[in-house]
Amino acid sequence: MIKEIITYPTPPSVAYGTDVRVFNEEIFSLIQDMKDTIEANSLDGLSAFQIGSYFNIVVVKQENGEFLELINPRLISNSGRVTTVEKTAYFPDLTAEITRYETISVVYQDRDGNQHSLKADGAFAILLQRKIDYTHGSSFINKLSKKEKKLFERKLKFGANIAISEVCPTTFKRDYIIKAINIVLIAMVILLVSSLFLSKETTENFWSYQLYASFLAVSLSIVYFFYAQYEGKRFTSCTSCQIGNIIGTAVILLIKLSIITLISYFILS
Amino acid sequence: MARLVVLGGGVSGHTAATFAAKWLGSAHEVVVVTPNAKWNWIPSNIWVGVGEMSKEEVTFDLAPVYAKAGIIYHQAKALGIHPEGNETSDKPYVVVESTEAGKVGKIENIEYDYLINATGPKLNFAATPGLGDANGLGEFTVSVCTADHAVHASHELQKCIEKMRKGERQKFLVGTGHGMCTCQGAAFEYIFNIEHELNKAGVRNMADLKWISNESFLGDFGVGGLHMNTMGFAVSSKIFAESLYTERNIDWVIGAHVNKVEAGKAHYELLDGTMGEESFDFAMLIPPFAGVGLKAISKTGEDITTTVFAPNGFMKVDANYNAGSYENWKASDWPKTYQNPTYKNMFACGIAFAPPHPISKPMSSPNGTPITPTPPRTGMPSGIMGKVVAQSVCDRILHGADAPLHEASMAHMGAACVASAGKGLFTGTAAAMTIYPVVPDFEKYPGTGRDLDYTFGEIGLAGHWIKHILHHLFIWKAKLKPGWTLIPE
Repeated sequence: MIKEIITYPTPPSVAYGTDVRVFNEEIFSLIQDMKDTIEANSLDGLSAFQIGSYFNIVVVKQENGEFLELINPRLISNSGRVTTVEKTAYFPDLTAEITRYETISVVYQDRDGNQHSLKADGAFAILLQRKIDYTHGSSFINKLSKKEKKLFERKLKFGANIAISEVCPTTFKRDYIIKAINIVLIAMVILLVSSLFLSKETTENFWSYQLYASFLAVSLSIVYFFYAQYEGKRFTSCTSCQIGNIIGTAVILLIKLSIITLISYFILS
Repeated sequence: MARLVVLGGGVSGHTAATFAAKWLGSAHEVVVVTPNAKWNWIPSNIWVGVGEMSKEEVTFDLAPVYAKAGIIYHQAKALGIHPEGNETSDKPYVVVESTEAGKVGKIENIEYDYLINATGPKLNFAATPGLGDANGLGEFTVSVCTADHAVHASHELQKCIEKMRKGERQKFLVGTGHGMCTCQGAAFEYIFNIEHELNKAGVRNMADLKWISNESFLGDFGVGGLHMNTMGFAVSSKIFAESLYTERNIDWVIGAHVNKVEAGKAHYELLDGTMGEESFDFAMLIPPFAGVGLKAISKTGEDITTTVFAPNGFMKVDANYNAGSYENWKASDWPKTYQNPTYKNMFACGIAFAPPHPISKPMSSPNGTPITPTPPRTGMPSGIMGKVVAQSVCDRILHGADAPLHEASMAHMGAACVASAGKGLFTGTAAAMTIYPVVPDFEKYPGTGRDLDYTFGEIGLAGHWIKHILHHLFIWKAKLKPGWTLIPE
């Protein structure tokens, strides 16, 4: 049966990939669906993950037109590096430069559960690596260098191989404020835990320290809330989900702070 | 008065003995037999191995701690178990040989009512020619399995750093030294700590780092991998590990059984049956584990070792050792009470119990060489097992031999693991991971066999701080300092 190939931005219908343990009709039927889908879409190969199955299965069409079924494939050794421009069915019409291994050795099982191995190089090695990427629930986007990933994310936004001048950054200066708040929270937890093991005289002033720390954390949260919005507005290409993230992050931080302060109040005050 | 004898004073044995002593009080005896004079917090050995901690920071003397707890301590190694007693007495006993200075080699029989076998593993360096022999670690590689090994590793690492400073390029090979190793996590931590130290020393550009392991995919860790539920995505440990190795520029070869080590060279066989070799200037290869070689003798003097122990030397417990092939493995194969099926007053916990089968997918090369990680039973699960077994024994001593046994199956148990990837107050990183259950339950959780709501992972500075805090917390607990019972295993 021809299956629909999941394409970006639809997330895969399964969240992870896993090995085939039992070789039964369900697996054979899935493999047949993969072959039908490859033929119908004139593809060179498919991973089961791409049609919504969590099993680690790859089917590729070889040069002679025959299908090669790889169940639970593992890339165990490699040599050399080669950078090529690739495309994959999950991101239609998009390409990216990816550095792969030039030659690879793969072990896999057939539909009877027997183990086999193969060595591959050239385009076939690249195809196998790209398909094996999908096993365990990954995609070739995880193989991109930081620079290439940034460029690819820009392409994704416009759905084609064009670049835009502005980039929505993946890290912001506001993250440093969150880091600072987290450090304050961790310090409060350490103070709280250490009070359990120290004498009463030593911990006498701990509650006031906790209060100062909580004031500091609240102040930093306020600074974060306003600065984050200012920073977000500077990047017009960023999505509107930023404001939701900012509010959510601030609320989570304040909940954490409230819990720590409350526990500190009962133990230390 | 009943007597509980605990063989081994590692994480599992120490936990079992100290809790048993607390619960039983002075009305009963708790005896610990361990060949070591010091307790070692093994997870921190990797920091000793890169010179970031001293041996003294990860070890302490056992004698004063046991004296404080009212535990009778024999610094000795167990040689054999006589679970039926002998021809003159029905009382079971263990035969031990002293390792204490001044009494080395002295043989003694210690009778018991209940026995907990928590001997941990024998580091089987001899399984790989060149990795070591019956006396332990060989001359070509280093190890971080014990604190002394880690000190040696640190010295060797410093020599390499000096060479790099003088312009000599060095190659580091880290991983597993046999196809049936466990503890990939320790090797994983060590290679990333080396990488971190080389960066700190300013010589990273002079080093080639290579990972070699028996895992069939990066991030298997002996548990068949795990999925980290992070920010709504279930990220496989394969993806996590591959990203980390790529980011830190560490090359890898996996599915490898190291079959011979020579000066500066490791030979290996791959899952595809091919043979290869890897040169090195510095190598840390984890050895496979085996049972410590305890014998079991019947009342009539007959050797019943095969009745009590599995072929790998670990003690048989209430596991299903006839589970068959991979597709038939079930969570229920794993032991719950850790009671020996033949002798009901004997238990085994930690690494000392014989697992029913691996957790990772079993694989072998076309030449028939098994290349599969063996299941880890260290760390948190080891401590939990020790405590639960102590509870069972104490209940039977205090409430009668029919008291129900407590259970702690690794198939119903979660575990937290913090894997260091570099030490430093502000520059350190560690991967903090939780996994539930440790042994996948494919019937309850179809797919990965694990509950993704309780499986989590994150890497960063906070993880390093957690690892460092845990170091102090667990040493505090092991020293039985105030509040030790409140600290979880």
